[in-house]
Amino acid sequence: MDSSARSQKSRSKPLPTQATGAKLFHWLNIISLVLMIGSGLQIYNSNPVFGGRGGWQFPPIFLLGGWLAGGRHWHFAVMWLFGLNLFWYGLYIFITRRWQHRFLGYNDLKALHNSQNEKRKNYSWHRLVYTAIIPVLLLALVSGMGMYKPAQFHWIVDLFGSWQALRVVHFISVPIVIIFSLIHSWLGLKVGGLRLIKSILS
Amino acid sequence: MFPDSPRLWQRRQFLQLSGLSGIGLFLGGCGLIPFDAAVGKTFEPLNQSVEALLLNPQKLVPEFPASAIEPNALIINTFDSTPNLDVKAFRLIIDGEVNSPLNLSLEQLQIMPLSVMTIRHVCVEGWAAIVQWGGVRLRDLVALAQPKANARYIYFKSADGYYESWDMPSALHPQTLMVYQKNGNPLSVENGAPLRLASPIKLGYKQSKWVTRITLVSELLPKKGYWEDQGYEWFGGL
Repeated sequence: MDSSARSQKSRSKPLPTQATGAKLFHWLNIISLVLMIGSGLQIYNSNPVFGGRGGWQFPPIFLLGGWLAGGRHWHFAVMWLFGLNLFWYGLYIFITRRWQHRFLGYNDLKALHNSQNEKRKNYSWHRLVYTAIIPVLLLALVSGMGMYKPAQFHWIVDLFGSWQALRVVHFISVPIVIIFSLIHSWLGLKVGGLRLIKSILS
Repeated sequence: MFPDSPRLWQRRQFLQLSGLSGIGLFLGGCGLIPFDAAVGKTFEPLNQSVEALLLNPQKLVPEFPASAIEPNALIINTFDSTPNLDVKAFRLIIDGEVNSPLNLSLEQLQIMPLSVMTIRHVCVEGWAAIVQWGGVRLRDLVALAQPKANARYIYFKSADGYYESWDMPSALHPQTLMVYQKNGNPLSVENGAPLRLASPIKLGYKQSKWVTRITLVSELLPKKGYWEDQGYEWFGGL
């Protein structure tokens, strides 16, 4: 954000303008991911990916749904919000060409490699990080579809090699999303301060 | 970096960073039990129509080579007890909306054409096992009983009191079998002997063991299935 330098001088400056589409995507993503993770861990507990029946289980405070059936109800309801949010956002960044202007580009890679400007480098790091989460979210969606309908989407299961590999990939998206949220927030603060964070969530 | 109010910033940063886990803690801790059922009821019709749409009743699910069988992966789940049925006295009854109700012994079932399939058995809990099942196509049994035009659902009654209901297209799928063999051997009692339901297109809880009665009906009854009546999804398609 080019406004970041100014933002630190005065609090009365208006927030950076964010496209409504980007704000909506952020909110729906936060809501759907929290619900997907809570219900997903509920399902996980009925047969842990690591260790099976004897495996370590997540404590109830992180769970959503009360029991396996409830967890599945939530998971297969919110999957629509999560999936459709990704879908329209994909169309949106394609049509508005946000994909070319707001995501990682060749210039960023060059800056990360050569630039002496710390600010420029942080900015590129941030773009790298939030660009990289897109394939992770898509992978979570595709691996989930493979597990939900393995007979109809048998090619997805085949793509991952085995049932266990599919389960591991789907589960690993949880820690990745949580770590991503922390790094994304931290880099957001670094490049644009609280004003940037407020602008995307307001 | 934030000379105006470092203390406020720290507090805000903390709130912001903990937001994701915080909402999770809130939702998880509240115990939204009545709400869970409502979420299920709201989305089940949509999900079910997608599942029914995805199901092609004629299309075979790709099978595995016999070398892919995982003999120890199939976990045994029962809701109550394991009934020990006398194989000689065993009868499979097919009745309901049919023109010619059947009462078949295991011997009679075993002289019918044998279908063998090596498929992935997927449990609602998340685990899966590649199993080979051998038995009679349910569609052949239904055809033998001459179903009436209004038969739209099919109930399975088990010797342990378990009960299930299926949609007719899934029941008539060529890989939906009434099996008496597992991995090339006679079915064990724990796995549902003498006769159980097996199919690659439904979750494990739909695949009743120790089946003694198959009833065709025109409408679903208030009781849809043991686990469904506790809150599980009815269609359970894969």
